[in-house]
Amino acid sequence: MLGGIEKADKPAAGAKLNAVKSAINSAFEGAQQNLAGGDDSGSDPTFDPTLPGTRPSLGHIHPITQTISHLTEIMGRMGFEVAEGPEVEDPWHNFVALNIPEDHPARDPLDNFYLATAKDPSGKSSVSAGDEGSQLLRSQTSTVQIRVMKEVQPPIRIISLGRVYRPDAPDATHFPMFHQMEGLLVDTNVTMANLKTVLRVFANNYLGEDVEIRFRPSFFPFTEPSVEVDFLWNGTWIEFGGAGMIDPNVFAAVGYDPEKVSGFAFGLGVERLCMRRHGITDIRDLYSGDLRFLKQF
Amino acid sequence: MLVSWKWLSRYVDLTLPHDELVDRLSLSGLNHEGSETVDGDVVIDLEVTSNRGDCLGHIGVAREIAALTEQKLKIPAIEYQESGAAIDESLAVENKMPEACPRYTARVIRGVKVGDSPEWLQESLKSVGIGVVNNVVDVTNYVMMECGQPLHAFDLAKVGDGKIVVRSGKDKEQLEAIDHRHYDLNDSTCVIADSSDALAVAGVMGGASSEVTEATTDIVLEAAEFVPLSVRRTARRLKLHSPSSFRFERRVDPVGIDWASRRACQLITEIAGGSVAPGVIDTAPEIPARETVLLRPKRVAALLGLEIETAELDKILRSLGCEVSAFADGLQCVPPSWRHDLTREVDLIEEVARIHGYDKISENSPIPVAPSSKRRFDTAMERIRGVLTAAGISESMTPSVVTEKLDQMISPWTELPALQTRTSMLEGARTLRRSLIPSLLQSRAANWASASLIADLFEIAHVYLPAPAGSDIALLPDETYHIGLIAGEDFFALKGTIETLCDRLGVPGELAVAPVQRDGFAKGGAVELSLVGDDGKESLRLGFLGFVDDKLVKKWKLTGRVVAAELSADVLVNQSRLVPQQQAVSPFPSIQRDLNLVLPESVRWNELAELVRKAAKERLADLTYRETYRNEKVDGPDKKRVLFSMELQSQTETLSGGDADSIIDKLVTSCEKQLSAVLLR
Repeated sequence: MLGGIEKADKPAAGAKLNAVKSAINSAFEGAQQNLAGGDDSGSDPTFDPTLPGTRPSLGHIHPITQTISHLTEIMGRMGFEVAEGPEVEDPWHNFVALNIPEDHPARDPLDNFYLATAKDPSGKSSVSAGDEGSQLLRSQTSTVQIRVMKEVQPPIRIISLGRVYRPDAPDATHFPMFHQMEGLLVDTNVTMANLKTVLRVFANNYLGEDVEIRFRPSFFPFTEPSVEVDFLWNGTWIEFGGAGMIDPNVFAAVGYDPEKVSGFAFGLGVERLCMRRHGITDIRDLYSGDLRFLKQF
Repeated sequence: MLVSWKWLSRYVDLTLPHDELVDRLSLSGLNHEGSETVDGDVVIDLEVTSNRGDCLGHIGVAREIAALTEQKLKIPAIEYQESGAAIDESLAVENKMPEACPRYTARVIRGVKVGDSPEWLQESLKSVGIGVVNNVVDVTNYVMMECGQPLHAFDLAKVGDGKIVVRSGKDKEQLEAIDHRHYDLNDSTCVIADSSDALAVAGVMGGASSEVTEATTDIVLEAAEFVPLSVRRTARRLKLHSPSSFRFERRVDPVGIDWASRRACQLITEIAGGSVAPGVIDTAPEIPARETVLLRPKRVAALLGLEIETAELDKILRSLGCEVSAFADGLQCVPPSWRHDLTREVDLIEEVARIHGYDKISENSPIPVAPSSKRRFDTAMERIRGVLTAAGISESMTPSVVTEKLDQMISPWTELPALQTRTSMLEGARTLRRSLIPSLLQSRAANWASASLIADLFEIAHVYLPAPAGSDIALLPDETYHIGLIAGEDFFALKGTIETLCDRLGVPGELAVAPVQRDGFAKGGAVELSLVGDDGKESLRLGFLGFVDDKLVKKWKLTGRVVAAELSADVLVNQSRLVPQQQAVSPFPSIQRDLNLVLPESVRWNELAELVRKAAKERLADLTYRETYRNEKVDGPDKKRVLFSMELQSQTETLSGGDADSIIDKLVTSCEKQLSAVLLR
């Protein structure tokens, strides 16, 4: 065997061969001894099965991703498919088509991340009140609903998940970037009772069989009637999101006849669901990239 | 919106206990935020949505309670006497800015005695957190908190030439407001002025010069309508938000303007004496009639999934102030002047739903079954996360908007300047990132700094590549999912992870690499990754892989070397074959041959592998690189030894040693010729 090896390498090769030989011998002896009954107690005293196992080093999937997968799966069972759209949007998709008129406070430049225009590439000019840009980071995932409705005809059953942006000062429960899950169902004869049922089934799936749901009236430009959705969890009503029946103006913007079709939409905060489920108390941890946090999931 | 229990009781009997009342209010649209007991009165904090300006006064809230508890609302009757010279003798109004002030009304009260307000008035204002000033100002505030219409009283003696002018602010014009701070006015500010000077910021705050004081005897009482957008912009610009601006931003009741003016006249003359000058100045006395809205009971049922009797619909709408008349096809409703939000049938449906109660809507009304399928993209992403976590890499999520400095560290995809937001998101961050690598590098550094953790991370998120210059301004940026990766030391470990990723996704063909120079990557240490296109020829750019520039590594105070990669998720998914197809396993034995070649340093493994594939063709079952070593003394300079193994096998017959030898001979010959290789035997 050593014949095929360079002269210079021969001593090293020889040493390796000897090491292998002695390892085989000792293993053979060990096995022989074990078969013969080993020592008096009948077991190998050097074998400590209580030593910790050698674990493979695995990475962790972000809790928001886990939440999104879970939500997608639950909604998928109810026939909702995932749709996505861009995060940089134009005001038509983010506001106009969603029945948010120009004088609506939601369009205020200080409440949105408008992009700097080409005229001012530095983006460093001060924001003057009332001066909208031609593009902005979307403030809601409802933009995706508009894009889908512009493209296909009912029936539609989709959820859109993704990042949205609002200028909130960061604290334990606020972050200027967060995720929303928006659901949309458009068909003939869709009722608010259907909406309540879908959300109740969702809550029972995600939070537990005993969770109750209630609607509180609210106001969103793109739905009418509009409601806040509360879930009764551990004895307290907790607000999880908004919902409502699609406003006829939204149907008009995408070319549907509100006399022929009806539909509902709902939006739930993914972070809130994720934090409740995993006992996370500070939203900022989610976006810290801190491995001490990430490896717990 | 704070409302006092005592105050509400002036308009409606509060028959429900507190807890039940606030619950009913929450469930019908006025969300209960909390309650407090102040001097024996209960003060309730209610959240009023922006479409319900009518509930920004006690009467509005009382109306809701009356509707919920089926009672009649008691609105105070207004009585006072007018006397003295007509208003025109003392005051003229000119409206030069009707786009911001569609209507301005004024009344004059002469001979008031300004002093302290009576106790009931002081108590009422204090209970809802409004400061007490003097009897005239207190009445204007009381009426505002009663019906939601802001009012303002000027000292007539301070209104120059007895003339009120509604106009835009002038260049460099300033106003000292009643808070004694100076505010800059401009041409978008709606200003209430006299013949020369500004007296008030319209709808936002009055000025110090014309405020009502102990010395005042004659007053001008303003009741107007200012446009929400104008008021909001001014309030925002001046950072001056007042109970007035809050109400104008949510629109006031056009009929209520005159009611509020007369109500204030009544209370002022009752409390502070004086007499109301006959007449009113009103720049737009015509109030357009509300259009009739048809409510079809069938539509109510169709939208809510709940039958509500027509009589009940009728009752609810009337209780909210609608004029209702029944027709064959439904109820014809004229919404009340204070409800700007009721213009369509669907708006009325919401009204009946919330008063009737959303709890009556069924939660057992399932939607029909519909098939749904998982997107290919999501299946692929799940598989990618599986491979990456199995490789010990953890998923991170970092903000999409970063500082310009961070974004510029590594931007392998584009040199076009990044998009910027106008307002910063976090600590000066306003750049829409063009790559995920800088954020991951930052996270890796933060982990090392805070806990000495070596963080191997990945992130799957959008990057925003600006549209090329000269393109349509309305064009959205090229925004797609990328997979960013960061790990330590071993270039080949990360490359292997990417190869495994491709393998697991069923990407056909080899992952090709080509050296590339990019700022932020080490010189000569980065490659562009590409995949073979569907036509078998075109090369598709998958992404980049390389050592991070040592300067950057040092800047981040990281130790050792850092390897980063970023892949286009779209390219990867497009080339994936997510459903594996079985390949026949040969029943014939295979032959393994190891070869050790001395090669010039410049020869790359892929050139050698190509020759192996050419020589062995379909009989190559496997090719494994073993190792490279260098021995300059024996082989001479710029030479290396590359050891590799080939597994040869046929699908149709048992391969003989002779067959294998002839393949090897062919290979060695071509290596000698094309790569100047020497076989070590």
